[in-house]
Amino acid sequence: MFGSFLKTSQVKSPWLLHFDCGSCNGCDIETLACLTPVYDVERFGIINVGNPRHADVLVVTGTVNQRNAVILKNLYDQMPSPKLVIAVGACGCSGGVFREAPNVLGGIDKVIPVDVYVPGCPAKPEAIMDAVVTGLAKLKGILEASK
Amino acid sequence: MIDAYIGLLVLWPVAAGLACLGLRGQAARSALVLGTAAVLAAAAVGLATQAPLTASPAFLSSATALHAAKGASFLFPAYFLFVGLKEKHALVIGFALLQLGLAAFGEFGLPAPALVQTAVVCDGLSLALVLVVSLVGTLISVFALPYMRHHEEHLHLKTSRQPQFFMILLAFLGFMNGLALANDLHVFSAFYEATTLCSFLLLGHDQTAEAKKSGLRALWMNSMGGVFLHAGILLIQKQHGLADIQALVDPALWTGLSLLPIALLAVAACVKAAQLPFQAWLLGAMVAPTPVSALLHSSTMVKVGVFLCLRLAPVLEGTTTGRVLTLAGAFTFLGASALALGQSNAKKILAYSTAANLGLIIACAGIGTPVAIAAGVVLMVVHAATKGLLFLCVGDMEQAIGSRDLEDLRGMIARTPVTALAAAAGSMAMILPPLGMLAGKWATLEAASASPMSMVMMAVGSALAVVCWVRFTGTLMSGVAVAVNPAPTSSLSTGPVLTMLAGVVGLGMAAPWLNAMLLPVGQAIMLPDGWALLPPLFITAMLAWILGMKVLGRQSAAKLATPYLGGLPSAAPGSFVGALGRNWTLSEGNEYATELFGEAKLTKIAGVLASVLLLALVGGALL
Amino acid sequence: MNLNTLYLAVAGLVLAPLLGGLVAGVDRVVTAKLQSRMGPPLFQPFYDVGKLWSKVIAPASHWQGLFVRWALVASLASDVVLAAGGDVLMCFFVQAASASFVALGAFCGNSPYGKLGAQRELFQLLAYEPVFMVGILCMAKAAGGFDAFSIMAAQGQPLLFKLPLIVPGLLFAVLVKLRKSPFDIAASHHMHQEVVRGVYTDYAGRDFALLEIAHWADVTVVLWICSFLWATGPLQMLATGLVFLFAALIIDNISARLTWRTMLKTVAPLTLILATANLVWLYLE
Repeated sequence: MFGSFLKTSQVKSPWLLHFDCGSCNGCDIETLACLTPVYDVERFGIINVGNPRHADVLVVTGTVNQRNAVILKNLYDQMPSPKLVIAVGACGCSGGVFREAPNVLGGIDKVIPVDVYVPGCPAKPEAIMDAVVTGLAKLKGILEASK
Repeated sequence: MIDAYIGLLVLWPVAAGLACLGLRGQAARSALVLGTAAVLAAAAVGLATQAPLTASPAFLSSATALHAAKGASFLFPAYFLFVGLKEKHALVIGFALLQLGLAAFGEFGLPAPALVQTAVVCDGLSLALVLVVSLVGTLISVFALPYMRHHEEHLHLKTSRQPQFFMILLAFLGFMNGLALANDLHVFSAFYEATTLCSFLLLGHDQTAEAKKSGLRALWMNSMGGVFLHAGILLIQKQHGLADIQALVDPALWTGLSLLPIALLAVAACVKAAQLPFQAWLLGAMVAPTPVSALLHSSTMVKVGVFLCLRLAPVLEGTTTGRVLTLAGAFTFLGASALALGQSNAKKILAYSTAANLGLIIACAGIGTPVAIAAGVVLMVVHAATKGLLFLCVGDMEQAIGSRDLEDLRGMIARTPVTALAAAAGSMAMILPPLGMLAGKWATLEAASASPMSMVMMAVGSALAVVCWVRFTGTLMSGVAVAVNPAPTSSLSTGPVLTMLAGVVGLGMAAPWLNAMLLPVGQAIMLPDGWALLPPLFITAMLAWILGMKVLGRQSAAKLATPYLGGLPSAAPGSFVGALGRNWTLSEGNEYATELFGEAKLTKIAGVLASVLLLALVGGALL
Repeated sequence: MNLNTLYLAVAGLVLAPLLGGLVAGVDRVVTAKLQSRMGPPLFQPFYDVGKLWSKVIAPASHWQGLFVRWALVASLASDVVLAAGGDVLMCFFVQAASASFVALGAFCGNSPYGKLGAQRELFQLLAYEPVFMVGILCMAKAAGGFDAFSIMAAQGQPLLFKLPLIVPGLLFAVLVKLRKSPFDIAASHHMHQEVVRGVYTDYAGRDFALLEIAHWADVTVVLWICSFLWATGPLQMLATGLVFLFAALIIDNISARLTWRTMLKTVAPLTLILATANLVWLYLE
């Protein structure tokens, strides 16, 4: 019983770490909109935390460039496993309109493995929430498989 | 047999001290000090098996001894006068003259008091002090052996001054034992003056300008205490014609009489116990070599003050004088704890904390009920061991890194692991339940129910102490400091530290039973009231200890996580990679909240308030 | 020490942390409702702890695991002392030891945010401990004994009528212990603040889960002691505890965080003076 409670808990309490990796802030505003009473992500037990050591899901907006790649990698490394990464917006997925810029590396999957991609410029709050839920389903699958 | 024990306790250290003066060799001195430690410990334990007891050994009760004690009351002030004249120190001269005048008046102006029948009375309180002196004090002397060698190497002296040092150190222990056991007020006051002399000589031992200054400060303050003591004794001699301490502390003797003499003795005790506003001499003690400050703070000197107060406590129960003394003690607990919190100098933290805890014991004495006195004695014993340990640890760390500032001691756990952990354990023993200090504090709080203001002051002081010691420990164990090669240690210095640590934990755990032993027969069959709560808490603490150690064992093999620095990576411990890939050093410091707990301002305010309380103590008894 | 005490102690050991978790759940639901949101399920705090339990992470210090477990044991022990009718003052000291261990673990860590939080945690301790202790002294004086049973038994008339001035102090302590605004100074309750998660920053994974359970136990102790103010029956006590909880939640939602200086220089002395006045007043009666 305790084991199954622990399993359930793993998908019922996703704590998000939101990292703005050079976004135009469009996607950031949409991400934060998820916390407002209109969308209220806390319904799913989601909390926005400021500390990678407490986070389960890394939500990244914006492109990766030469300067912030190392920070993105560091934040990812500091998160405890099992963990999910969600790339939000066109820039996070692929580099978007900035992908050819000289200092830009591209989408965040150039630096860390991404589990769910959320398209859009900016991405809609519904899509972001859907991505978290999809990610949790994926995590559940991984946990089932590991059993 | 009892006489032999007492002789060994009082005379042996004095004789061994004199022998030290003749021994120039390091090895012979070490052997002598170690031997003295063994003799004193054995004699103290021997005495403990016979207690409670009364005795009249010849060297304390014969007519010659009494003459010697009378003579001492002239000789010590005369020497102080000489020192004062030599150093041109007006206060020392003034108080020495006053003491001489009082001694002369007592000898020639008043009829001699009735002869004291029993020279030695050893009850729970005396025995507690004897054990503290003979066990803690001797451990500190052993610690002093390697310490003083390093110390003198550091000072580059031509001729070693260690013989004089160890002479005074050992003799001090003998005088303390004499003071604890003496039942004649005149003998007591002779030993009291002897401790003043010893502390003056030890504090000035380094002969630097600073050492001289703090020695003279201790001298004038404590001879002021001596003046109060003599005045109190004279009044007692005049009112009652008595010099027998046991007869004096019978409350029946004082019904309907002014408690002025007792109040004067209490003020003398407050001076010795470095209560506010007299804390300055104890702060000066920290410039002396560590064994001296450890000795003065834990097992000798300051304990004279609390011992005297606890001795007088039965008279104080339920009196106005007692209530004012409780307030004064509680106020020192509060004020000195606040002063300790604003300090970054580790030895000053210890010094203020000493004054604070002694204040708590004096508050117990002011309450005066058997329960409060027992709590006070428990506090006295546990405090001596704990504070001795802390001083030795801080001294050891100071010798290793050359600084006593808490900020420099940050992360010492990587450099001197044994000492730093012992210091951490010691400072936790100051505040954690169910160990002795906290249990004593708690018992005092509940015993003080007659005095709401002192309860409030104790509550605030207790919170201040918790914060101060947790921060102290946290700084020592702080994680970022880079490990440097560990400093070399001597078994003679780690030995006493570890023994003392064991003693601190043991005593801390034994506190409830210690307390039960000290209560009058009849109340002592079972652990009274809340004390019965402590043994289950010990078991819990033991289980927590085992659990914690298992986890520590598991985690100490783990690779540590990189620090969270807002996402910035860290290339090496204590730094982070910032702009342009540059390596930035991370520096940290504690918040001392000096705008609230600053020494300069707080000392003035607390000094004024404490002086008012002491004036009220004397004045209230006068009216 | 009879069998009855043993049952009570075991009940305290098991139920108190569960109750604390439930309080945390109520807290989150009510807060969401106050912000016109739906909020998480009532049992969300338990899911959080369950999740943290199975997270795999390197510790920030070799010592943290030890201090976390000591904090947990101390918090649970304070529950047990209270449940078994022990000395309330000692219960409070044991509980304060738990807070000290949390701060010590943060000192041992390697993140500056954690150490900053540890300093602030200590200042919080300094601010609320005296006033809470004076509150307990008032209760003991009014009820004529320091043990929980005699405080609960001495209630012909609720203690509140004798002790109105300690209410601000107790509420202050509840706000601090629940880590609520305006006193969420050491471990910012809400996300993304300058101290990150303050004293909790370095704790993660199972250590953090255990710390959360310790926190639940602490919350129970504090609310329980507050409920002595109206201890004419178990239901009344529960109601009193809930009143304190809701008051704290409302204050949390309508206030911004204060600095530790304001807390230490203004709020702490003010509440302490009120509580002291109440104590003196009891003596004059």
